[in-house]
Amino acid sequence: MATKIGIGFSEHPHPETAAKDAGFLSKTQLDEDKIDFSIVLSTTHYSPQKTLPILTNILNSSKLVGASTAGIILSDTVKTRGIAVITISSSEFDFGIGSVHGLKHQDSFQAGSHLAKNTLNNFSPRGRQGFLFFADPNILNYTQFLKGIQSIFGNILPIIGAGCSDNFRFQETFQLYQNEIFNNSAVGIILGGHMSIGLGSRHGWRPLGKPRFVDESDNNVIKTIDGKKASFIYKEFFSHEADEFLSNRLSTLSLLYPLGVYVEGSQEYLLKNTSILPDGSLTSQGNVPVGSRIHVMIGNKDSCRQAAYEAALEAQKNLMDKEPKLLLIIESMTRLKLLSRNAAHEIRKIKEVFGSSTPIIGMYSNGEVSPFQTIDRFKSPLLQNESIIVTALG
Amino acid sequence: METSSNLLSLIGFCLLISASGFLTFLLISRNDQIRQLKEILTKLRKSFDDLDEQAKLIVKTDLELNKAQEELDRRLNGLDALQKVSRLISTTLDEEEMFKRINQSLVTQVGFEKTAVLIYTENRKLIGRILIGIPTEEVKRILSSFENYQPLLSTLKEGQTLSSINAPKQHREFVQNIFNVEHFVISPIITQHGILGIVFVGNSINSFPITEGDEELISILANQISQSLENVRLFEEVFLSTKNLESKIQDRTKELASALEQVQNVSRIKSEFISAVSHELRTPLTSIKGYAALLMSGKLGDIPDQVRDRLARINTHSDNLVKFINDLLDIARIESGKAEMNLTKTSLVQMIENVHDLLTPQLQNKNIQWKMEIDPLIEDIAADHNQLERVVINLVSNAIKFTPEGGTISVKAQKINDMIQIDVTDTGIGISEKDVKRLFDEFYRVDNQINQNLKGTGLGLSLAKKIVEAHNGKIKVTSQLNQGTTFSFTVPIYKEAPP
Repeated sequence: MATKIGIGFSEHPHPETAAKDAGFLSKTQLDEDKIDFSIVLSTTHYSPQKTLPILTNILNSSKLVGASTAGIILSDTVKTRGIAVITISSSEFDFGIGSVHGLKHQDSFQAGSHLAKNTLNNFSPRGRQGFLFFADPNILNYTQFLKGIQSIFGNILPIIGAGCSDNFRFQETFQLYQNEIFNNSAVGIILGGHMSIGLGSRHGWRPLGKPRFVDESDNNVIKTIDGKKASFIYKEFFSHEADEFLSNRLSTLSLLYPLGVYVEGSQEYLLKNTSILPDGSLTSQGNVPVGSRIHVMIGNKDSCRQAAYEAALEAQKNLMDKEPKLLLIIESMTRLKLLSRNAAHEIRKIKEVFGSSTPIIGMYSNGEVSPFQTIDRFKSPLLQNESIIVTALG
Repeated sequence: METSSNLLSLIGFCLLISASGFLTFLLISRNDQIRQLKEILTKLRKSFDDLDEQAKLIVKTDLELNKAQEELDRRLNGLDALQKVSRLISTTLDEEEMFKRINQSLVTQVGFEKTAVLIYTENRKLIGRILIGIPTEEVKRILSSFENYQPLLSTLKEGQTLSSINAPKQHREFVQNIFNVEHFVISPIITQHGILGIVFVGNSINSFPITEGDEELISILANQISQSLENVRLFEEVFLSTKNLESKIQDRTKELASALEQVQNVSRIKSEFISAVSHELRTPLTSIKGYAALLMSGKLGDIPDQVRDRLARINTHSDNLVKFINDLLDIARIESGKAEMNLTKTSLVQMIENVHDLLTPQLQNKNIQWKMEIDPLIEDIAADHNQLERVVINLVSNAIKFTPEGGTISVKAQKINDMIQIDVTDTGIGISEKDVKRLFDEFYRVDNQINQNLKGTGLGLSLAKKIVEAHNGKIKVTSQLNQGTTFSFTVPIYKEAPP
């Protein structure tokens, strides 16, 4: 036996039925009794308390992780409600899983290193090819969290991450680990064994206007830009429209015109969705250091589709001519909102690169982590928003 | 020494002058460069600022386009879902099924996190028929709050659609509070008979706000639900009423069938009775007639003239009685189905001429003009010759009886589809509308001077009707007092049996 992959999906309104349908479908497609590894992706329409017991019972998988998502990406379509189950049975691939809890209250570096250690403990001594994690987005300090992971795995191992989402409610996400349901946690997966990983990541936004510089910041809070309150950057561009920021956490402005942070050594700007705090500061996921060169960024549906295409090309190139067995897409939920009815167009662009035979599964996340080229020797894992990460497992 | 010293001083002086000139030159040159650089920097700043201004313009245009696109996308999504909902609910006539078809995925496609369709029951209590994104434990509180907040219900009853954009502050805060949403549309499900329920959709604080397009969309959805609901309920009403009517018809039909059976039984008993009595009467009558004839023949000895006269009367009355009894027997036989019509090919023209010949003396007595307007080539009829001739004789005899001297009797015949209609028209005294209705009843005699003077049984027309009907024909009469009367009856055209 080499590697077999099954994908099941259901959008049945009743959670128990949806879980049963998705589980059986995945298992039927897998066509193997033994399941080595499973991933469950579910929109928050379905209570995991109702779905997980059914899924664990059906799958009887040796290793299972899962996450809440704003939507599910399938080979032919995009669904904003439903449950997807990916089952893998393989003599080539190897997986290790782990979890860490209490992200809101724990030192982020420690949390990151705990997650990495826990996952490593569950992994057999075979070659590690990559690390994937699903985390609640309310991590105290994302930069430190990633450094904590790297403190265990080193700087070479590619790290891919997805922020779990609760369909734009920003209240409570969930993470699944074996037969347990967690909130405010992260679950990690070491991808290893005889596996190749091809990674590609893009967003498709371009800088607008003159560059501006961050004068004062505190971790993920940008306090002043060019000597003015940080929010002024949006007020300059949008005048009264910028007030929308105050009443809407993920406003249209933030989606359409994120901040782009210039990263030395990179061709792309690092994208950050921001919100305005009452004192006029801007807050984002991940740190923005003092001195950062920033721009308001602009993109459109075409540039999004093009970015998906380029990310797929990059992933294919990095796979080094190996045959892809599964495409795992982690894509920002803001892109789903932006592309709306045309969200599935990105899948078509990805299929233009990989063809139609490779199964595709993916989720819409709240924040994406992928290796980002900087002046450093190795690509560093960085958190950004509005991006698409194509991971090809071969 | 002094000279060389002076020379050196001169040289030094010259060098100093030259260096200072050079330095001055350098200084001027550097200042020029700085000035040029400043100019370039100013230009660069200006370019950056221009770039920024252009960017602001681009961004504003782009934002407007994006908002228009977003609204368009939402509208398209909404319309698509609305079209699906409309198609699904308009193709069922079952209320339960109707609401079942408005499922969660369709409603989600319209683009709202929370949806509620609340419907009034027959006893005017609100119940939740569709509840999406609303926790079950909250439903009771929502329904109760709704029913207790009359100002909002009154506004909705007027047919107004309210939203977080246009609702008065009090209403807006009420809806936001009970449904725990920021943006909402609430629209009544209303018909000409009043409010049937309410459609609510809403989004939480972090979601997209409502637009005017959403108001229109939900208003259309509510309208569609109201139409479908009205159709469903109307259908249920009609269905129940039809079922009720069918049940009543079945009961009535059973009653009528039972009554008919009773009437038929009575009629059969009556016919059997008449038949038995008639037979019993006819035998002694034959004897009476026979003995009267024997006495009148003088074979038993001469009889005085007065006795002969009385015997002649006995004979005449006996004949009348025999005819009466025969008519009764015929009616009874036809009614009981015992007297089958022997339908044969019969010449109508011949039959009418025979009747004319038979009744010519009576016609002549009253100087009545006879008109026979029948096409000699008219089709033959399928008739029991003797029985149908009795009908014609009866009708013409009646016509003679009620037509004053010098009047006219005409007989016409015409083809109507597969039947021949024969009309016997006189210029007699006519029959009142009241009498026309009962003319074919047994023993019924019109109360007029002529009938008072001439004896009759009141069975002739009744018998004629039965004979015509036994030929699968119909008989009717039209009359105007003092103008005349027309009796019309139909008989089938004779058709050769297929070889």
